Amino acid sequence: MAMSEMLRQRLNEKYARDSYYPSTPRTHNLTEEGPVLSERKLAVYGLILSLLVVAVKVFSIYRDDIERTVFEQKLISYETLSEDGRIMYQYTWKTAVKYSHFWLPLLCGILSSYFTWIMVYLDSNVPGVQPPSPFSPKKYKEQSVTNKMESTNVFSENFQKLIGNSVRSVLLENSSEKDEPSPATNDWSSENENLSCSYCRVKFPDAQNQREHYKLDWHRYNLKQSLLSKPPVTEDEFGEKTGKDDLSSISGSDSEKEDTLDTYATAQGKIFLQNDSGQEEISDKDIFARLTQCCITNKQWTVLMLGGGHFAGAVFKGNEPILHKTFHCYTVRAGQGGSQSSRDSKSAGSQPKSAGASLRRYNEQALVQHVKTVVDAWKPEMDKSALIIYRASGPYNRSVLFGGASPLLDRSDKRLRTIPFSTRRATFTEVKRVESVLATADVYKSLKEATQHFCKQKSPDAEAKRNKIRSSCINRAKSRETVERPLPGALSSASSVESGLEGDNTHQEPSFTFTNEELDMDASLREFEDSLTPEQRSKRAPRKKQQRKSKTKKLKEKEDARKRDLIDALCKGDLDKLKKLLENHLKTFEEGETERNAKQCFVNEVLEENGNTLLHVAALNEHEEVLEFLLDNEADPCVKNKNQQTAYSCTQSKGIREALKQFARDNPDKYNYNKAQIPTNALTTEETAEKKKAQRKVKREKEKEKKKENWVKKQEEDEKSRFLQLSDREKRALAAERRILSQSGTVMARCFLCATDISGKVPFEYLGNRFCTIDCLKAHRMQNPIVLS
Amino acid sequence: MALRIQFENNNEIGVFAKLTTAYCLVGIGGSQNFYSVFEGELGETIPVVHASLAGCRIIGRMCVGNRHGLLVPNSTFDTELQHIRNALPDTVKVQRVEERLSALGNVIACNDYVALVHPDLDRETEEIIADTLKVEVFRQTIASNVLVGSYCVLSNQGGLVHPNTSIVDLEELSSLLQVPLVAGTVNRGSEVVGAGLVVNDWSAFAGMDTTSTELTVIESIFRLNEATPSNITSDMRASLIESMS
Repeated sequence: MAMSEMLRQRLNEKYARDSYYPSTPRTHNLTEEGPVLSERKLAVYGLILSLLVVAVKVFSIYRDDIERTVFEQKLISYETLSEDGRIMYQYTWKTAVKYSHFWLPLLCGILSSYFTWIMVYLDSNVPGVQPPSPFSPKKYKEQSVTNKMESTNVFSENFQKLIGNSVRSVLLENSSEKDEPSPATNDWSSENENLSCSYCRVKFPDAQNQREHYKLDWHRYNLKQSLLSKPPVTEDEFGEKTGKDDLSSISGSDSEKEDTLDTYATAQGKIFLQNDSGQEEISDKDIFARLTQCCITNKQWTVLMLGGGHFAGAVFKGNEPILHKTFHCYTVRAGQGGSQSSRDSKSAGSQPKSAGASLRRYNEQALVQHVKTVVDAWKPEMDKSALIIYRASGPYNRSVLFGGASPLLDRSDKRLRTIPFSTRRATFTEVKRVESVLATADVYKSLKEATQHFCKQKSPDAEAKRNKIRSSCINRAKSRETVERPLPGALSSASSVESGLEGDNTHQEPSFTFTNEELDMDASLREFEDSLTPEQRSKRAPRKKQQRKSKTKKLKEKEDARKRDLIDALCKGDLDKLKKLLENHLKTFEEGETERNAKQCFVNEVLEENGNTLLHVAALNEHEEVLEFLLDNEADPCVKNKNQQTAYSCTQSKGIREALKQFARDNPDKYNYNKAQIPTNALTTEETAEKKKAQRKVKREKEKEKKKENWVKKQEEDEKSRFLQLSDREKRALAAERRILSQSGTVMARCFLCATDISGKVPFEYLGNRFCTIDCLKAHRMQNPIVLS
Repeated sequence: MALRIQFENNNEIGVFAKLTTAYCLVGIGGSQNFYSVFEGELGETIPVVHASLAGCRIIGRMCVGNRHGLLVPNSTFDTELQHIRNALPDTVKVQRVEERLSALGNVIACNDYVALVHPDLDRETEEIIADTLKVEVFRQTIASNVLVGSYCVLSNQGGLVHPNTSIVDLEELSSLLQVPLVAGTVNRGSEVVGAGLVVNDWSAFAGMDTTSTELTVIESIFRLNEATPSNITSDMRASLIESMS
């Protein structure tokens, strides 16, 4: 028993981290449960509702008409014979209005309650599960029923009846395996000259068998079992186990096995007992003897809670607190948390001397004193109680209860229990809650049901995973997945129109440069700035056609045809045709106008939507003779198209540009060539050629110089390498030679390592070797180490 | 005879040295003292080698070996391995082991014939141990401790184990290992015997704190009084000469 209790304690500590209130509803990890109504369904309901509203509005507007028709067809009216024998029409409507004082409030009531329910439903943790809606599937309703399984108080008669004469503890998962406490290994001893294994409790006839045994997996498994303070398994059991599940459970860490249903249940401070009649119950105390002792014979429990400067304690007789006391001392450091004493112990040398710190220090002492007086006063009652349940987390709180010269509680007291679940702040209500939770036994009809219940609580994640697909419960803490949506109709159609247009353009003017094309498209797109769907546009189209039939349109068509002709001629560079067209145009002109004006009118005409004139078109299509002809016929090169380009700037062609420049040079004062963006001061071709020649000459000279320099450098390099190849002695000899020579004039001195010229400088020298820098000297020395001795 | 020594004022000498019947590895310390003691005691019979493993001085806990071989963890540098191979006799196989529990000295305790290993050790490692060290391998715990190397010191003559080992376990183990065992402490009560003591068949080195009682236990269980190498040679020579004459 002691062992299982130890294990329980350990597990409690382990699970204390993820603090867990079994009694509070929201802590169940059920958030991922799917809602009953999907949002689509809700939307459908909303739609129906809105349709209803529309219908009612329509009805109220056209009430007279509807009433008349309905009335005429006698649908909502009935005939009555008045006293004087005439037929009267009684409106049902009027009757309804007459009873409105009855049904209007009723309707309001229903609506408001529906609204409230909807609010609760949508605001609840898991819509459709907590609380279940009328539309909830059966299983959710069932679950909420099983959540309210039969609970009894351990002090009641009912409980006594339930436990009867004996109970035994069961495990939820493998109910066949009984959690019998293992006798301590010390009790077991073998006689057979220790040819045995105490872990597996087997004996061997000879040493060979023993050695063989120690190499078995079974032995290894039992070793681990013993490390976990679990009873060993027999060879057969082990065989079964390894047969059932793979070997991985034996080797490696055992952490994955830890999270069983039982440990989970135990973590909530529950144990599972089975009574004689096969009913099971979950109670918070251990075995039968102790159960009877602390629940039936002696119903007095003491609960003490201590934490964060709060103390709450009570002595319960049955469920009634007969003594209780709560108080609070300011001991916890408000900003940082933690008790003052722990802070002090952390920084051994420098304890904070603030007023608050000393206050807290004083209060800590006071708390200990208070608790002591309280417990001393309760001593007689506490001695009588069957259990002392306490909560004192942290070394400081524990020291209050167990520390000091004369501890308040004896650590070895058999009645001492910790609270096996997380608690809130130590208050009287919390103490009462703890007591009531501890004194509650849940009764399950069968083991299966209990397992199911705990499975539900334990594996919400797995269920959640399953539900995730149909779940539309949005977790707003997470960023949502981006949904690929199709483009709205208008946009996509616009883009399709675009591409169509592009095709047209390229077809008409196959030699357009790329940039121009793009701009054209931009301009043409302006037409589609209104976002119409293709359907709408098609609807509009016939209307346009109708309009075109008007006279102005006819004229325009004619114009268009003429323009197209002109463009065609320009594109092809058909000079004759152009001349003909010009003549035609001049003919049609009235006599009054001058020829020049007429020409201007013709030549500077805007042909295309983007403001291109004849000159632009000719320039774009690179027909020089046409361009020259146009210029001669008073075409204005200053005219800009809609992209603010003149004829000169709209083309990249060198020939066209040259032609325009030539024109500018020939007629310097005719137009403002700045405006036409034609560079007038540009050089002619001959001039440029001359310039190039001069440049080439200069370049050649430079190259020559460079060559010369290189040659000199190379000579120097050769000299250097030759010098470096000499041995130091030769170098010295050479230097000496040079020196002798120098007396007559030219002296050369070179660094012995890098051979740079050091004539005229003071050389760095060792052992007669001369160097330009100290670095060279060093390097040379490293190369030729001097062997001492 | 057992000697008391210190490694840079540290009594846990088993951490910084590895002693077997065929060689002795010594961690590289700040001063030569530690090495000198080993050298003075063992230098005539077995090589005493300065070594580091993965740049660490705690070689005693990192490696495991006997006269047949030496196992070093996977983190050992190539240069260190080469140095050890060069320094050790050719009969000693040096092998690197890929094992999750890389402090081999803590998880394996062995003499020239048997080895106790941590229950969670890899099967491959187990095989390598059996092949390289030529020992029989047993998975075992000592006083509910899985770190058998830390809580157990073995030689071919005897063994010292964790003081909490029960009599039953002790008897079982000694029947398994075929050597006498005793539960004891070193370094004035330290239960980590592996860290406080290094032994081979004729010599033992314990931490400076070890009491004379502890030393007596160590000397008696490892039979150090009877068998120093010189003793063996002189005894044997005497008997040889006796038989020849």
